[in-house]
Amino acid sequence: MIVKDVICPFCACLCDDLDVHVEDGRVTGVDNACDLGSHKFMTDHRLEGPIRRTASGWQEIPLEEAIRETAELLEAAERPLLYGWSGTCGEAQSAGVHLAERVGGVIDATTSVCHGPSILAIQEVGHPGCTLGQVKNRADVVVYWGCNPQHAHPRHLSRYTTYADGFFVHNAFKERKVIVADIRGTDSTNLADEFIRLQPGGDYAVLGALRAMVRGKGSVVPPEVAGVSREQLQRIADLCKKAKYGAFFFGMGLTQTAGKYKNIRNAIELVDELSRHTKWTLTPMRGHFNVYGFNEVCTWMTGYPYAVDFARGLAFYNPGETTAVDILARRECDMCLVVASDPAAHFPAEAVEHLASIPVVQLDPFPNLTTAFARIQIPVAVSGIDAEGTAYRMDGVPLRMRKVLDRGCPDDASILREITRIINDGGGP
Amino acid sequence: MMLNTGRTIPQGNSVEYKPSPEYGAETSRAFLAPLDLMDLGIESGERIRVTHRGRSVVLTVSASDGIPPGTLFVPYGAHANHVVPAATHGTGMPDFKNIMVEVEPTRDPVRSVWELMEDLGGRRL
Repeated sequence: MIVKDVICPFCACLCDDLDVHVEDGRVTGVDNACDLGSHKFMTDHRLEGPIRRTASGWQEIPLEEAIRETAELLEAAERPLLYGWSGTCGEAQSAGVHLAERVGGVIDATTSVCHGPSILAIQEVGHPGCTLGQVKNRADVVVYWGCNPQHAHPRHLSRYTTYADGFFVHNAFKERKVIVADIRGTDSTNLADEFIRLQPGGDYAVLGALRAMVRGKGSVVPPEVAGVSREQLQRIADLCKKAKYGAFFFGMGLTQTAGKYKNIRNAIELVDELSRHTKWTLTPMRGHFNVYGFNEVCTWMTGYPYAVDFARGLAFYNPGETTAVDILARRECDMCLVVASDPAAHFPAEAVEHLASIPVVQLDPFPNLTTAFARIQIPVAVSGIDAEGTAYRMDGVPLRMRKVLDRGCPDDASILREITRIINDGGGP
Repeated sequence: MMLNTGRTIPQGNSVEYKPSPEYGAETSRAFLAPLDLMDLGIESGERIRVTHRGRSVVLTVSASDGIPPGTLFVPYGAHANHVVPAATHGTGMPDFKNIMVEVEPTRDPVRSVWELMEDLGGRRL
């Protein structure tokens, strides 16, 4: 059987044109997906059932027992941390926020280690965003700053920019100018009309120089800024000002380097400056397929996009204090529920160490590095493969993820609702 | 030298099954400028020990023309995060890039991802 027009649950491009071949409850092939998406559909190393860590190894346990024990651990904890959420659908994220409020815990998403700083900047100066359809149909100048879409979002160029012809851009490859800023040469910089090769940590200064030039104050810019010549900067400033429609995309090269959210604030203010001359927009290259969704769900439920602390009985938000890495590094939480992410692989070792000293429960279909710290792991359906639900694309467009097969696995949302029900009922199913 | 971490296609391909040899092999790679490998007296396929504030990890080097001299690029994962500091400077975001590290050639073996987790108090499945 071939399931047509499936949405890919890997990155936040949410490519919606996949054809998935299914035979005997297994995916046997995927058409149109990139390498990353294909591997996600084809990976078949799932846990067969819930497991519990014992003194000498691991034991399989019934699902009901795993859920009840998780509820007991959450209820007994004084400061539980509920972390992850970017690899699951909005329905599970909503159930997670309800659960966090019920147990007075902290809920944080992988946002805090990807585009959290972008949200902090947007809260300071706003978000001049647009849909990817606008970019595809209108943009004649595209900037990729501090990101490598050829490796992190492999179809971004073919669906929305360099190789995507649009309503007003009839021959995209020739008509769109692509500017890539990075500290190293990559497969993406190789495709650039202009490669801004800047020194590490030089993003803020180069963005500031471009702002000055766009404002007509180029005379204050020195001959070289963070390794980039004034001549190249002036050429780029002119190219951006002459654009009919410009689209600025950026990634971890801005969010994870010194300056953090101040880098993104400077990028937004460059876009603001350019929009006094022509039309420019800015879009973070969100990573996980539904990391944007958590920010949407959490905001409409609590008023804040991530790192929300319910310990006071109301929503409190203070990134740097209520973010997962900080809470773990301070050894503050006494229980951790991990849903649809892998902090042991992606957090600094100093933060991961604390997971070894507290009870950890993980909802994830696959064994991963957080499994090494889990007291219990409950395998769930893979959102977008054997569970349906809503996900938000990197431009904030919600799309309905399809269920292409049924493996009899519960989804994240149903397990989270059952945990909440048990806690509300005072224990016991 | 300066350590920078980031995404690669092989890292993304194996990210849903991290116990696999492919994942560990990719996340334990360090890409350096060819001139830096000459300075260190090693060649692609040999190993370095990367140290930051008392934490260290062994990586396998690959020469890459795109890497600026004085820097090394390591795909996201448990190996790089073994030396990434946890401080977030009040933002929630650690420094996954621009970390000043010490780099020296070594003949020590590269540790598997499970061994790294065991070092931190975890247990392999």
